[in-house]
Amino acid sequence: MTTRSIDLPLANDQTGKHKKTIAVQVSTANIPAKAVLKPTGLALLKHGFLTISGLIMVFPFVWMLSGSMKSNDEIFSNPLNILPEQFRWETFVETFNSAPFGLYIMNSFTVALFTTLIVMINSAMFAYAITQFKFKSQTALYFVVMACYMLPGAVTYIPSYITLANMGLLDSHTGLIISNAASVFGVFYLRQVFLKVHPSLIEAARIDGAGEVKILWAIVLPQCKAALATLFLITFITNYNSYMWPSLLITSQDLNLIATGIRQFFIAEGNYGLNWSQIMAASTIAVLPLLILFIICQKTILSGIADNGVKE
Amino acid sequence: MPDDGKYDDDTTKFVTVPTYDVHIQLRKSFIMKIKSNALSEKLKVLLFIAPLLIPLFAFWIVPFGWSIYISFTDWDYISPEYSYVGLENYQYMFEDSYFMDALNNTFVFALGVVIPTVVLGLAFALLLHKNFRGSQLYRAVIFSPWITPTVAVSIVWSWVFETKSGLANLLLGKLGFEPIPWLESGDTAMIVVIIVTVWQAVGWTMLFFISALNKIPESLYEASLIDGCSPWTRFIKITLPLISPTTFFLIIVNMINAVQAFDQFQILTQGGPSGSTRTLLYLFYQQAFEQYDMGPAAATSLIILLITGVLTLVNTEMGKRWIYY
Repeated sequence: MTTRSIDLPLANDQTGKHKKTIAVQVSTANIPAKAVLKPTGLALLKHGFLTISGLIMVFPFVWMLSGSMKSNDEIFSNPLNILPEQFRWETFVETFNSAPFGLYIMNSFTVALFTTLIVMINSAMFAYAITQFKFKSQTALYFVVMACYMLPGAVTYIPSYITLANMGLLDSHTGLIISNAASVFGVFYLRQVFLKVHPSLIEAARIDGAGEVKILWAIVLPQCKAALATLFLITFITNYNSYMWPSLLITSQDLNLIATGIRQFFIAEGNYGLNWSQIMAASTIAVLPLLILFIICQKTILSGIADNGVKE
Repeated sequence: MPDDGKYDDDTTKFVTVPTYDVHIQLRKSFIMKIKSNALSEKLKVLLFIAPLLIPLFAFWIVPFGWSIYISFTDWDYISPEYSYVGLENYQYMFEDSYFMDALNNTFVFALGVVIPTVVLGLAFALLLHKNFRGSQLYRAVIFSPWITPTVAVSIVWSWVFETKSGLANLLLGKLGFEPIPWLESGDTAMIVVIIVTVWQAVGWTMLFFISALNKIPESLYEASLIDGCSPWTRFIKITLPLISPTTFFLIIVNMINAVQAFDQFQILTQGGPSGSTRTLLYLFYQQAFEQYDMGPAAATSLIILLITGVLTLVNTEMGKRWIYY
């Protein structure tokens, strides 16, 4: 190859030049002026549209931050300022003092973390059993689990409430965690992922005499780290944000999760409609940890959903 | 010919007759092994499925049956006595204007959420499914509302739509319009809840569409380019049919989510004004946990199940029929 490309121009300079000109002509012919202009025009339009949409999507967050930095006086006198006249960081201190938001966040964090860990473990084991073992009623079992997917929470709330009351677990984090310990989504998601693990890997490990728990832990799970990370984040976020069920179960203030806590602050006497600055600070306290988590892990979350597309 | 064998009279096939002692011994131990294997196999399966099945039974399947039972009673949660009322709770529903209004509101809300969510989700996905400089940032920005707690962001939106000092009315005022009592008027309250829900759901929907669009083989587009199709024809004739299973899936899933929406209603309207945003789930909440009418509440929850159940079944059926043209 190299010799040829050096040889050719030397041997026949004329043709070499000729070829060059043709190449140039072809490349210009391929991109007429109109075509060059049109895509950039369209691209500008596209970026313009996306930028405006993006601004609308993040605007509530900006407005929330801006509101939390303003004083209540400024909110009522100059309501349209996006940038506050002066940044009042002390609103956050006042808000943290008026309700135990740090505690609420810790509660949400602990409950979500433990729920997620349990869900990861039992979903992985269940998904492994229905993808790698052969037993009677395997398909039936999977359908029973999937059928629970269409069960609205509302149908289970009253009896679950009574069950937890009988177990003495009302108004406790343990009750909250164990009642959320089965995740149909987790099984659904991991089953798809485990089906993609090459069977020869598991076969080889079995021949080597590895136990099933070890195969799951040392062979299957490391193969799907990305999917596990996505499932972890989605489950964690859903549990961290959950509101209806925890608000029914938890009655002591110091056990509240952040969503319940912030609602109580919102409807508290003297806050609604008057104290927007502290209410916005409280919202910021609830939203910011998740936005930061998202900024750090956005690739895992976005590609985990877009690539595995929880379908098929 | 092997020594210890003979031709079977019935089948005229050659069968080996085992030398009695050794073979019976072997056979016995083999059966034992199979039996103990089968037992340990069963134990193993049980070990792997029990951690999920125990909570699933305790908090999903048993409560489901129990709810059906409660829906036939007039239990009030506080008193231990209750009586069996048969189908009365269900019959009463259709005479109850609260229930019928809630049913109607649920459908209005579901349609109001699903149509814009799917249309906008698809539009964003079409613009963003190919990677270009900044596409990841746009995706992240559009998806970000899904991450945040609905309660907290609904509080922010309730400020935006507040009648006196809310941003929406201030902007309308600047443009010379009369302020609108967004959350205090029956017509507009539902619109506000729909806006908030669409805002949160659109990014999730977009990601699914991106996944579907990226699965369309490039060769199909190349062929259409050679045939000289306009981008619009290409979209109608190629893209839309090929992503139709995903579209359908997203319509159903968004509907199920809308039927089960609670947080934003609780913050923004509490079912009001005068019941104009009371959906079935909110009615259930009020019946069960404000009035302690467990019987009618359980009946309402089972109607919600009926709706989501039908939607799920339609989804699976259509999914089977529509996957790949």
